[in-house]
Amino acid sequence: MIPGGCPFSRRRFLQAAGGAAGALAASALFPSALRAAAGKTVDVAAASAASPAERARKAVALLGGMESFVSRGDVVVLKPNIGWDRTPEQAANTDPEFVVAVAEMCLAAGARSVSVFDRTCNDPRRCYVNSGIKDAVERFARKNRVGDALRIYHVEDRKFVRASIPDALAIREWDLYRDALEADKIVNVPIAKHHSLAGITLGLKNMMGIMGGNRGQIHFRLSECLADVNRRVPVALTVIDAGRVLVRNGPSGGNLADVKSFGKAFASRDVVAADVVAAEKIFRLAPRDVGHIGKAMESGLGIASRAQIRLVEG
Amino acid sequence: MKTTRTLRRASQWVVFLLFVFLFLNTEYKDNDVLPYAVNLFLRLDPLMAGAATLAGRALIGLVWPALIVALLTVVLGRFFCGWVCPLGAVIDAADATVFRKVRRKGAVPVSWRRYKYLLLFFLAASSLFTLQWVFLFDPISILIRTLTVSVFPAMNLVLHQIFDGFYRMPGPIPGISEPAYGFLKSHFLAFEQPVFRTSAIVGLLFLGILAAEKYQRRFWCRNLCPLGGLLALMGRFGLFRRRITEAGCTRCGLCESECRMGAIGGDVAVTDHGECIECMDCQAVCPEEVIHFSGKEGRRPAAVDLTRRGVLAAAALGAVTVPFFRVEAHGKAPDPLMIRPPGALPEGEFLARCTRCGECMRVCIANGLQPTWFEAGIEGMWSPILVSRIGYCEYNCTLCGQVCPTGAIRRLPLPEKRKTRLGLAYVDRSRCLPWVGQSDCIVCEEHCPTWSKAIVFREERTRTARGGWRTFKKPYIDEELCVGCGICETKCPLADRAAVLVTSRGETRSTGVLAR
Ligand code: SF4
Ligand code: SF4
Repeated sequence: MIPGGCPFSRRRFLQAAGGAAGALAASALFPSALRAAAGKTVDVAAASAASPAERARKAVALLGGMESFVSRGDVVVLKPNIGWDRTPEQAANTDPEFVVAVAEMCLAAGARSVSVFDRTCNDPRRCYVNSGIKDAVERFARKNRVGDALRIYHVEDRKFVRASIPDALAIREWDLYRDALEADKIVNVPIAKHHSLAGITLGLKNMMGIMGGNRGQIHFRLSECLADVNRRVPVALTVIDAGRVLVRNGPSGGNLADVKSFGKAFASRDVVAADVVAAEKIFRLAPRDVGHIGKAMESGLGIASRAQIRLVEG
Repeated sequence: MKTTRTLRRASQWVVFLLFVFLFLNTEYKDNDVLPYAVNLFLRLDPLMAGAATLAGRALIGLVWPALIVALLTVVLGRFFCGWVCPLGAVIDAADATVFRKVRRKGAVPVSWRRYKYLLLFFLAASSLFTLQWVFLFDPISILIRTLTVSVFPAMNLVLHQIFDGFYRMPGPIPGISEPAYGFLKSHFLAFEQPVFRTSAIVGLLFLGILAAEKYQRRFWCRNLCPLGGLLALMGRFGLFRRRITEAGCTRCGLCESECRMGAIGGDVAVTDHGECIECMDCQAVCPEEVIHFSGKEGRRPAAVDLTRRGVLAAAALGAVTVPFFRVEAHGKAPDPLMIRPPGALPEGEFLARCTRCGECMRVCIANGLQPTWFEAGIEGMWSPILVSRIGYCEYNCTLCGQVCPTGAIRRLPLPEKRKTRLGLAYVDRSRCLPWVGQSDCIVCEEHCPTWSKAIVFREERTRTARGGWRTFKKPYIDEELCVGCGICETKCPLADRAAVLVTSRGETRSTGVLAR
């Protein structure tokens, strides 16, 4: 089934349990000591603005601008959610204006190239077209004559390479997309929405789009698998589109009655932190309520507690 | 006098290129509605139009272009076969290349040419009694079906393997091959490698048609093609016919040996106008330049070597076979996996009209429409069914209804298509992972496209194999909402047989006039 199986040896289990128990004891005794041990605080921007593009720009600006994440000459992969044959109003895919705004910032920060793609669930061509993302990106590239640097393309089977994931919780190896593995920086641009199995889908879950193979099987142990992939392919920046939010019947939706206008964007260099804040602000969910966020925190992928997050609002 | 032949060759090329162009554009190109009639050639075909009309008991508006071909044939003769037919062009091309050096010496008796007429009467009679067989022999249908199911996927595979090979090479090679690949990919190659059931056999049958050229030029057109037969009968008295000014003729016999159709028999001045496809080769080779094509005519046309008895026997056979097919048990207990495309007519009308051209399979965006073997009986061979394990019906797609040349699949507006039920899904609770207490999954629910999900899940405690209890999200099907699109079956992560399956139960098609 899952290539490499789902190793969950007794020894590993004991280690994990022991570690958790130790941390628990320490936090009870010396809360501040734990915080220092687990890492510094991390900023999460929460931006409100009228248009998707403004929200994206404001969120990144609150973190010090794209220059803090993308350096001159970087090869950037920009990973929106283009998973479904749905229109922007149906809020199953990242808003096209939002995607273009982030791409524009990457180019302005000096990125050598920005590649946009997703491995879709419905027919890829229909998803690219009806999400409005293909057209928006291509139109922007044409208008600003950056067609060589900014490209949106379809995922091709031949470009998946078998990648091993050290210390995996569930997948020791998996086929991942070459362009993502080779990129200097990955900018993760998910849309926030309800998800039937995962509860909600935000930044962590969006990285499934770089996975090849039979992704359905990931669902057997979704939380562990998502932690593994995100550790293997760390992102430089996560910018969550929370303008329109699909609150029921996710991830594919379709019914406009299930879409709520929320008018926000969240951003952070730490994907876990971004997800924690978005989950709380949009869906009123604590990290422990969302399996994969909890698992990601435990696995040392990002911040380990809500207390490490500094919220920057604007 | 070579100009008319050149003109004819140019016409064959132009028409063939148009044919290929339409074939390549029978595909989703970022547009929900195909901008032009990619099925044009099928709609020009009087044989198919006639058979579908007869068998389907309906006037089919879509096939009006066939009337033009019929009228032109009455006026001009059997020009279609020499100037237009894309299968004829392929056969001629095979002749000019592969079989250029072959010596054929009287291997095929002249009398065989009557088989195409007998076939025509056989097919006409069975069509009259609602059994439509024409798809097996119609040249346009054969060509498009073969390209769709067999040749194009195979070419696509080979080209992909070649370019994948280059792509993996070290050094400068990928730098050269990738732009070429990109060009091919956007203009010629399939978006995703198509696969089809019956592809090998369809390809082999086609090779058979070409291989027969070893024995006779245009073997297929002379002896078998029922469209050729029909056009021959219609065009026998056409105005445009071969004529010899006998005074200048030296009886050198060049024209007779050059004729690809064997339409010049015994006496070179006599032409069988039913066989002559007006290719003008005889005119081009005649050293005395005494051959003309015009309305005035020197001799009466040679008789079609058909006996009344032969015709009656063929027609009777065509009629008599029908009940044998009608008592096949699948009419009473249809295969549950016979899931027809959205908008398909009730089964009787559907089979009567379906030309098995494969247009719908070619255009199906998810490769879900597949040719049947015998799910619909022998008479239903190669008709389209949705095989959900291979591909599903895309919720927002209406392409198959747009390309069907005879309206066997109706053209549905999107809102209606979304409500059209192809079948119903059911959960195999003995295999579904959450149901058997194995693991979380719910991939089916995630993909279900209906706006209020036809797959719902309930969190329930389940006994695991080890005897413990665990809570899982277990899928249930809401049969009011399910449209049978099959994406759940396609995406079910079980590697072999899916645990959620679609059968034809509950399909929207009602019993039609030609009940089965
Ligand atoms: S079967 Fe469905 S997906 Fe395939 S062509 Fe028809 S409408 Fe489109
Ligand atoms: S076939 Fe499956 S995915 Fe399609 S509507 Fe029915 S339950 Fe939903």
